[in-house]
Amino acid sequence: MTTVLDILLRLAVWLLLAPLLPGVINKVKAWIAGRRGPPVLQLYYDLAKLWRKGVVLSTAVSPGHVAGPAVAWVAVLSAALLLPLGPAGTALSFRGDALLFVYLLAVARFCTSCAALDTASAFEGMGVAREVSYAVLAEAAVITALLTLALQSNSVSLGTMLVPSAGAGAGLLAAGLFLVLLAENCRVPFDDPNTHLELTMIHEVMVLDHSGPPLAAILHGASVKLLLFAVLLAETVLPIGKLSPLMATAALAGSVLVVAVGVGLVESLFARLAFRRVPMLLTTAFLLSLFALLAAWKGAGA
Amino acid sequence: MTGALNLLVALAMGLNLLALGSSRLPSLIRAAAVQGMVLGVLPLLLEHEFHGLVWVVAAATIAIKGFVIPGLLRRALRTAHIDREVEPLLGFIPSLLLGAMAAIGAVAFAGALPLRPEHAGTLLVPGAFATLVGGLLLLMGRSKAIAQVCGYLILENGIYLFGLLLIHATPLIVEAGILLDLTVGVFVIGIIVDRIQREFDTLDTRKLTSLRE
Amino acid sequence: MIPGRLLLLAFLSLIVGLVTARRAPRLWLAATLTGAGAALAAATGVLAGGEVWEWRPTLAVGGEAVHLRLDAVSAFFLALLAVLGGAGGAYSRAYWTDAAHPRSAPSGRAWWNALLAFMGLVLLSANGLHFLIAWELFAVSGYFLITRERHRREVRQAGWLYLAASHAGTLCLFAFFALLAARTGSWELGPMRGRAELAPLFWLALAGFGLKAGLFPLHIWLPSAHANAPSHVSAILSGVAIKMGIYGLVRFSGWLPVPEAAAWTIAALGVVSAVLGVAFALGQHDLKRLLAYHSVENIGIILIGLGFALVAAAHGNPVWAQLAFAGGLLHVWNHGLFKALLFLGAGSVLHATGTREMSKLGGLWRAMPWTAGCFTLGAAAISGLPPLNGFVSEWLVYLGLFDAVGSRSSAAWVAVPAVVLLAMTGALALACFVKVVGVVFLGLPRTETAKHAHESGWFMRVPMLVLASACVAIGLFPMFFWPAVARAAAAWQPAWADAPVPEPLYALSACNITFALLGLLAAALLWRRVRRNGLSRAVTWDCGYAAPSARMQYTAGSFAGIITGWFAWILRPERHAKLPEGNFPAHAHFAEHTPETVLEKIVEPTGRLVMAVSTAVRRLQHGRLQSYILYLLLGLIALALLAFAGGGR
Repeated sequence: MTTVLDILLRLAVWLLLAPLLPGVINKVKAWIAGRRGPPVLQLYYDLAKLWRKGVVLSTAVSPGHVAGPAVAWVAVLSAALLLPLGPAGTALSFRGDALLFVYLLAVARFCTSCAALDTASAFEGMGVAREVSYAVLAEAAVITALLTLALQSNSVSLGTMLVPSAGAGAGLLAAGLFLVLLAENCRVPFDDPNTHLELTMIHEVMVLDHSGPPLAAILHGASVKLLLFAVLLAETVLPIGKLSPLMATAALAGSVLVVAVGVGLVESLFARLAFRRVPMLLTTAFLLSLFALLAAWKGAGA
Repeated sequence: MTGALNLLVALAMGLNLLALGSSRLPSLIRAAAVQGMVLGVLPLLLEHEFHGLVWVVAAATIAIKGFVIPGLLRRALRTAHIDREVEPLLGFIPSLLLGAMAAIGAVAFAGALPLRPEHAGTLLVPGAFATLVGGLLLLMGRSKAIAQVCGYLILENGIYLFGLLLIHATPLIVEAGILLDLTVGVFVIGIIVDRIQREFDTLDTRKLTSLRE
Repeated sequence: MIPGRLLLLAFLSLIVGLVTARRAPRLWLAATLTGAGAALAAATGVLAGGEVWEWRPTLAVGGEAVHLRLDAVSAFFLALLAVLGGAGGAYSRAYWTDAAHPRSAPSGRAWWNALLAFMGLVLLSANGLHFLIAWELFAVSGYFLITRERHRREVRQAGWLYLAASHAGTLCLFAFFALLAARTGSWELGPMRGRAELAPLFWLALAGFGLKAGLFPLHIWLPSAHANAPSHVSAILSGVAIKMGIYGLVRFSGWLPVPEAAAWTIAALGVVSAVLGVAFALGQHDLKRLLAYHSVENIGIILIGLGFALVAAAHGNPVWAQLAFAGGLLHVWNHGLFKALLFLGAGSVLHATGTREMSKLGGLWRAMPWTAGCFTLGAAAISGLPPLNGFVSEWLVYLGLFDAVGSRSSAAWVAVPAVVLLAMTGALALACFVKVVGVVFLGLPRTETAKHAHESGWFMRVPMLVLASACVAIGLFPMFFWPAVARAAAAWQPAWADAPVPEPLYALSACNITFALLGLLAAALLWRRVRRNGLSRAVTWDCGYAAPSARMQYTAGSFAGIITGWFAWILRPERHAKLPEGNFPAHAHFAEHTPETVLEKIVEPTGRLVMAVSTAVRRLQHGRLQSYILYLLLGLIALALLAFAGGGR
């Protein structure tokens, strides 16, 4: 019973806090641009409104079209539940859950991609092609980062891997994971969440034909994914599991906030990259993780 | 001391990759220049007694590799109206991956070498190998003359790193001599580049093969 | 003795099927299904009980006493053979009917039974000579099944290539078994790990079995053969026949000593096959050819598991080897199941539309919802997505590799790239199958044929549903299948006997079940919400363009363009383009084709060179007696010089 309650509580934390992050990012961007910007809670209002709205479906779509966002949303949330939540640790931890984590995110990608191709739109096909192609390089970076953590903690379980800090290569790993965060969540410099030109988008173009509650599921899922990567990044770098509960909570919340502000700053100060330069940046992310792995190897071997 | 040394050499290795990944000539020149300056500091860390000559050579290295040579190259870039895009023969991502493999391979290889104990813990030897390979990759994989000069500079940095292993055995005056040669060399290249540009309207080394006779 | 009776029943049923194949297709199907069921029961018995069934009658074939043996390794492959043999047989009833193929269908049924019987015999033979005979007969029946449509030129070519590659492999195996027999003094096969002098022979086995398994770069015959065979044949070729190569490698790496270099080679070739297989698959626009390249990829994943297990065996059997081996072995089943499912799905598409060209398909979910559903499930499974079976086996391989990295031994140096490339393979496979599902089944029909497709009959649907449910079952309840894998692993490496179900497998199963249920629940809830909020239909967002057409959808080629660009160094795509020019461009076109690079750029030029040299040498043969006498004299002088030089030393 307590485990169920525990899981429900965690779920509530993820569900309720996630939409805050895009709000913070937008506030930072507005602040740098000298605007007042939308309220921090804007995404909550949007989600509530979308959830009540009617749905317009394309005449081309199959009955599975609505299942795509739903399953993707469940997949992202399940992946989030595998992450330790600061001092509370994980609800469920077993050897190899780190790999389940990676592949659950892949399930989400599969579902949103299929739902996008379902609409028979050339724009969405273009977006999906980019999404799945760049994910190949991002996956290499993520798995290398996990390998580094596994080597350091001698474990393949997120609950243990993320307790200590990343050691010698922490800076490298943080840089690599931050790049992956930007790529996986389609932020500048990989994609521009504010753009409205179909030809140049990745994620936004894939959801063009969604509306109402399915769009709410997609937007909420995207915010959970952003929070998930921010938490992963924070727990990779900081020895969260070794601090006192209060300190750990503060450190986690603080570092997630720092990541959000960082994303906002990057988004304000940099332009989107040309698509042909994207693989280069993701390769850099992979190399950063790889050198972190090397540092972990050397560091523990010495 | 070893920590600071390793950090600087690691930085130089990172700059190798930055140079390999640069798609614009100015950033490539900057990477080579910063690498030269980073390595210029190293004798100060390695030399135990601080005498005047070390300071002079370090300062000269930093000044020449960090400012004079890049300045000459930028001048050549400007006066010869060279397009800023690096034209790679070997793509950026393959060169990056090769450079990274070289770095990892260098670390593994240096672990297997019978080094003197005071060098075994440092990144000097792997750094030298990785920098050499990075310079060679640039020399082989870029078509513009300026990019090749940068490759040559990075190659020289690798040799310089090897030289640091012998810092107690060879007088720094030798390094000073090399530095002078280098400056004169780049100076001459700058002039030649300018002349070739005026004569042939191209600096693509692929097209210069017609000059082989 | 129960396995023996069941095997006898299976054999007799297959014979009955063979006899009745021409005249009584219903009886044939019943007999084949009975045979498959009996073989499955026998295999299950051995896998559940663990004892080895052996049969040594006083009967000699070819001067050698018959010796049949069914241990857990053989039973593991036999179970897969039985399932796919039955499913494919049932499928062919509606797919390759007498009405549509009056000439090739009846004999095809007979060859089907022959193929099943000979593959079974390969699995059971414990005598080198009989193994070779069964192997050759199995290869030849495969040839006759591939060339069902002999009137088509490309089918004949594919068949010849298959036969040539198959015989090259058999040649290596012949040398292997003959040398083995010469060194051991008998054709009997069995465990002889202690005899280190036999180790070099494993290289021959690797070449021979590797050719059959289709690992890169020995895969040259595989894409065309699998693409041009009838789909149920493709299913069994890809699901079981290439696994015979894996069986051979597993069998003889278990029985013979393996040189450590060969273990490293297998692991490295596995990694290369996995990545390049999927890269080549991405470049394809022929549905079945694409699936065929994915076989190369999955064989790669299996070999990563086997290769690391062998490396570990050379380093004193660390625990991680067991996980990697179990993962590789389970992937044999998994790949057999989902690849057969995908080939059968592709067959239904081919049956309904008459084309394998993906750019002529699209929107097939309207006409064929069952096929679309099954195919999508298979696509998710082959991409290694939880909660399906592909993930379970890849997960086991990953665990083994992660532990190998953690061991910091020399194996870790290969394990790091293997992990990274395996992850990239997974993402690439996902990209490839999103492409296939999206282009073939989703969106709008691109041509009239795709618009007028029809769902396949129950004979074709039921095998697909059976395979799909097997994929789901292994994904959700992997612990029930673990004992079978563990028994086979124990038969391979006796030190691993009685491995309990790994604890994390239960947790994974719980996660998978929960995730599957929650996914269904969320989809249902969201759908209800959508219905309640009100649903209206409109055209897809077209950016204001007035005349969008179905042909403007993203095509398979443009979808894969980014990734094939990264792999252009090996894919060597051939482009024919006339780009639009000027303000009012006239006709423009673009075509891209990814050839089988190894075949066209390496094997064929080598073949041409050999032919040229042979033609030059042939000039010596012209029929003039005088010259022949000259040759004799020259030969004698050469020999004399050789003897003289040799004697002088």
